[in-house]
Amino acid sequence: MNAFFSYLVHGISVGCGFALVASGIIIVYRVTRVVNLAQGMFSVVAGFAAATLLGVGLPHGFAELAAIATAALVGFLTGVVAIAKPGTNPQASLIATLGVGVFAYAIEVLTWGDQPRSFSGLTGAYDLWGIDVPKQYLLITLVTLVVFGALEAFFERTYAGKALSACASNPYAARLQGIGVVRMGLYGFALGGALGGVAGVLLTPVQPISYDSDVSLFVNGFASAILAGLKRPVLGLLGGLVLGIAESMVAGYAKASYQSSLALLLTLAILIAQAARREALHAVEE
Amino acid sequence: MAAATLLDESALSVYVLLALTASVTVGVTLLMGHAGQVSLGHGAFYAAGAYAAGLLAKHGFPSWIALLVAPVAAAGIAAVVGIPLLVLRGHHLAFATLAMHLIFLSLISELSITGGDVGLQAIPPLGFAGVTLSSVRSYAFLSAGALVLVVALARNLLVSRPGRALRALSSSEVAAASSGVAVGHYKLAVFALSAGFAGLAGGIYAFYMGYLSPGSFPVMLSIEYIVMAAVGGLGKVSGAVAGSALVFLLVHGLSRISTLSGMPGTAPIILSYAVYAVLLVSAVLFLPGGLVAFVLARWERPGARSERAAPVSEAKPGDPANEGVTSKHGSFS
Repeated sequence: MNAFFSYLVHGISVGCGFALVASGIIIVYRVTRVVNLAQGMFSVVAGFAAATLLGVGLPHGFAELAAIATAALVGFLTGVVAIAKPGTNPQASLIATLGVGVFAYAIEVLTWGDQPRSFSGLTGAYDLWGIDVPKQYLLITLVTLVVFGALEAFFERTYAGKALSACASNPYAARLQGIGVVRMGLYGFALGGALGGVAGVLLTPVQPISYDSDVSLFVNGFASAILAGLKRPVLGLLGGLVLGIAESMVAGYAKASYQSSLALLLTLAILIAQAARREALHAVEE
Repeated sequence: MAAATLLDESALSVYVLLALTASVTVGVTLLMGHAGQVSLGHGAFYAAGAYAAGLLAKHGFPSWIALLVAPVAAAGIAAVVGIPLLVLRGHHLAFATLAMHLIFLSLISELSITGGDVGLQAIPPLGFAGVTLSSVRSYAFLSAGALVLVVALARNLLVSRPGRALRALSSSEVAAASSGVAVGHYKLAVFALSAGFAGLAGGIYAFYMGYLSPGSFPVMLSIEYIVMAAVGGLGKVSGAVAGSALVFLLVHGLSRISTLSGMPGTAPIILSYAVYAVLLVSAVLFLPGGLVAFVLARWERPGARSERAAPVSEAKPGDPANEGVTSKHGSFS
């Protein structure tokens, strides 16, 4: 029984990480209609940056925030490449984000080398009702909840958030209202960058990252986003938790190497079922 | 082909890999340029062909049979996988093909029959009628031959009736469907055909290298094909060959420079990633007709604006502003 709870705890915190990546994907998609293949890369950059800043002597907290800011900047730049040129259709933008991700590999290896890196987060664990809960896991979960609460408030309550949502629902009408769609798109990318950054600084102490960690982060994040229907960022939290817990159970009870295939197959099944239903109804894809 | 006779030994090994890569890229460019589908997973079909050939050869089948089975196996997998997969479009399909590649890698790493992480070793060399191909030069001829075959098939496809249907698909699926084109069938057919090209190349690769492992087929491989197809101009068969040559030689040349003494050990990776990225982004944002077409047009008519219809159509289902039907062709009977 203890094993079950420890898998559960692990799954929840991993799921929170997925959820953060997922929310970045969802926000960028909602605002720009582009799936950002470079989303995982934001987390990697933030993780590396935090490791470097901590190594240089910056205290905890400051280093992480600086790393998140860096990730937000990288997100903004990704957005510039992907959408700033007028006339770029979503397919071209998708490939452009792929290109940015590959370019980022080059920069990352140049700056930080090709070996995995980590840094220590909160060490030690609490004993909750007989289960060992590492403190870093608690931190991840708490921060994720706070971030999602803030996202929900931002999108529902603030004008800026509603403007972003407007661009997502109807770019044409948004433009008529004087909302600069490209500018909003860039803000969306920057926000996606920041969210990826949060995931990166939270997860790196638990799981060393290297320049190619972005693929699995993206895959899991996108899977969570799909489970959430690519609509409201908040649903990404649910999707991430479901996926994280499922993967943890598979890793614990079956074979660890099957967990990524699980995520992929699950996502594909849902995507195909959704698309098949849509085709059957002859609905125009939004 | 002439190059295969003329080049010296060291250049030949580059030639072989280049010809094999170009064969796969022809398939990818057909898929992306004409059937309008982004495939982030074609490396998996290359791997499938390679493993199919390798497995059969190691289990005692005559090597030339194994080689013939390779493209069939890859195309077969594509046909089966494509039925559910091709329901998806745009970024969903892109993700699905990426997922397919990853799942395939996971499978071959796990199954003991494929040798797991270590892979297949000591694949017997290719041979038939008592002749064994063992020199690099012979593989150069073989891979060049495969490329010629692939290009011929692709060209034939495009000028045929199914080819016109394909080009209609790339302009507008809605228009094509309303003209009676069985959209689903054609998409599946191109998917399977392009997988077959990749499988053939993979089969030759298996015999050429003599060993296979999951590490030979990373996701980056699929991305390389996309870069080469984009550089050459999506949908253009000659562009696929030219784009492959350009990118491959550029990256190869850079890695030669970067392995000179004095350069850090990670220099080859850095340079190759940077080159792929810059080429991909420039091609996709600025030159949808492909870098190659751009250069050629400038060459022939200096100063004149080249007019190339962008093969990656804008009438994508995800674009509500573009629901207008655009048909660039005559009748589809």
